[in-house]
Amino acid sequence: MDYAISIFVNGIVQGSIYALMALGYSVIVGITGLVTFTHGEVIMMGAFASFYVFELFGNNILIGAVGSFIVCGILGIIIYKVCYERFLAAPRHIALICTIGASMMIKNLAQIVFGPNQKPMMGIVKNQLVKIGPVQLSVLQLVILAIVLILALGLSLFFSKTKYGVAMRAVSQDKTAASLMGLNVNANVLLGNIIGCGLAGVAGMLISVYYQAFQATMGGPLGMKAFSASVLGGLTDSRFAALGGLFLGIIENFGIAVSSASFRDIFAFIFLILILILKPQGFSKKGGIKL
Amino acid sequence: MTQKLKAWFMGLPKALRILIAALLIVLVLLVPRFLTSSYIMGIVCRILLYCTLAGSLNVINGYTGQFSIGHAGFFAVGCYTTAVLSSHYGWNFWFTLPIAGILTAIIGLLVALPTFRMTGIYLSIVTLGFSEIIRLVALNWTGLTGGPLGIKGIPAPQFLGMNVRRAGDYYYIFLLFAVLFLLITARVLKSRIGRAWMSIREDQQAAQSLGVELVKYKAMNFAYGAFWAGLAGAIYAPYINYVDSNTFTLDEGFNILSMAIIGGMGTLGGPVLGSFVVNILNELLRPVSAYRLVVYGLLIVVMMWIRPQGLIGASDSMLANNRTGLDLLERLGFKKRKTA
Repeated sequence: MDYAISIFVNGIVQGSIYALMALGYSVIVGITGLVTFTHGEVIMMGAFASFYVFELFGNNILIGAVGSFIVCGILGIIIYKVCYERFLAAPRHIALICTIGASMMIKNLAQIVFGPNQKPMMGIVKNQLVKIGPVQLSVLQLVILAIVLILALGLSLFFSKTKYGVAMRAVSQDKTAASLMGLNVNANVLLGNIIGCGLAGVAGMLISVYYQAFQATMGGPLGMKAFSASVLGGLTDSRFAALGGLFLGIIENFGIAVSSASFRDIFAFIFLILILILKPQGFSKKGGIKL
Repeated sequence: MTQKLKAWFMGLPKALRILIAALLIVLVLLVPRFLTSSYIMGIVCRILLYCTLAGSLNVINGYTGQFSIGHAGFFAVGCYTTAVLSSHYGWNFWFTLPIAGILTAIIGLLVALPTFRMTGIYLSIVTLGFSEIIRLVALNWTGLTGGPLGIKGIPAPQFLGMNVRRAGDYYYIFLLFAVLFLLITARVLKSRIGRAWMSIREDQQAAQSLGVELVKYKAMNFAYGAFWAGLAGAIYAPYINYVDSNTFTLDEGFNILSMAIIGGMGTLGGPVLGSFVVNILNELLRPVSAYRLVVYGLLIVVMMWIRPQGLIGASDSMLANNRTGLDLLERLGFKKRKTA
């Protein structure tokens, strides 16, 4: 029983990181109306950004989060310029192919610049155990949960309370109508891309701190997990995307417990296929994209 | 350009046409006599192999506008089927071929079936995931696939009564299947099925309202593409003589994809040209081989910006629909082409 509880808790922690990735993914897909294949590579770049931030400024996870958010936000601007700006009105597959090309470039350049080997990322947070009732958590896990919760709540407040958030929701629902109301569609799409990529960057930092290792080729499976999780929200509904991430983390950890860790990435795929069979539209409500 | 070439060719007298065709065929058949270097024959074999592979991907991506990216997965299924059947169970190579093709088609269909009702992106992600999963399964299912050690010593096939060993001999097998693929696909595309596929690419709703059953035709299209990818894998297994899971990474899938995109989607000639361009580029970039996929990625993005249908893709289809590209060309100083 204790074993099952600890698997469950590990699943929730890991799932919360997936949820952060899925949040970023659904923001990007929601605001651009186009899909992206660069998400996994952005997550990977977030891990590398935080690695160098830790080297420069010492092991403070908050500074690392800010650093990877900024770096990946800038990456988001580049991706927007390359893949989206000209193609918002073009057929969807053009932006799709563009993001594939961009992700190939980012991934292989990263392998050349940073080297293809796995790098360690140890001792960012002190390894202490905390006991809450029957549940045993490490400080690191609590920190991860706290960061994800703060970011998710902040995102939710941003979209519901601020002027910019409301403008972005309008753009994501109907670009023509939004531009008729005097909104700058391109600027909003750019902002959405920066936020989505920034969140992915933070998620990349968290997952590498959690695994205590990262490498240039880790982007592919993570991008697929972000996608699988956000399918639960019909790709665009952030709340269900986050829920999907949590589910994914729990399923993955129980799956590994009954099989082996080398099958880790298979469970995300099974999860995706199951949702596509059972509830292909996800749980987003009809009528516009919800953030 | 291809149309002009075809019109010029058809304008020649019939005897001359037959003579040219016969000369070409003899020339193609004699290639291994002229190019004796096994290095160059290896490149030629790769080009022919990827003609089939990129072509089968093009059937999916270029003719129905679905978007598969995990073609390496189907390639892997075909390759492992032949490797396992011929080295573990001693099957004749030629009997493993149809099994490999059909098995790949069935697996591809099972994987893609849940996505046919959705927009294209779901298929893309599912195929991407599938490609990675197949590699993981091959890596971990040691009993069947040899795990990380792979399968060694796949028996050489017999062709016209002789053992096929050198690249110069495999040339004929690769050529046979590339030509078979092109001929059969050309016939399929002219039939009702092919026209239904293209109508789905141009406008799903219009196609549906004209009586094209979307799911049925998308499934047929996907199975057809996967079948040829499996077949290509089956031929590749004895040629490479050693199959392991490292051959079938996502990068391999992107490699095939870049051939289809750069050469041009929606025409039969496109992937053939793409296979030439990318494979020769591959050899030219050998000194800086780490940058190979960076260059392909850059080429894909540049293609989308300037000529989204690829070098000789279907310019009269929605694949070519990109106003921004023309604007860019004009800014660079090219004149706008007059549309007749």
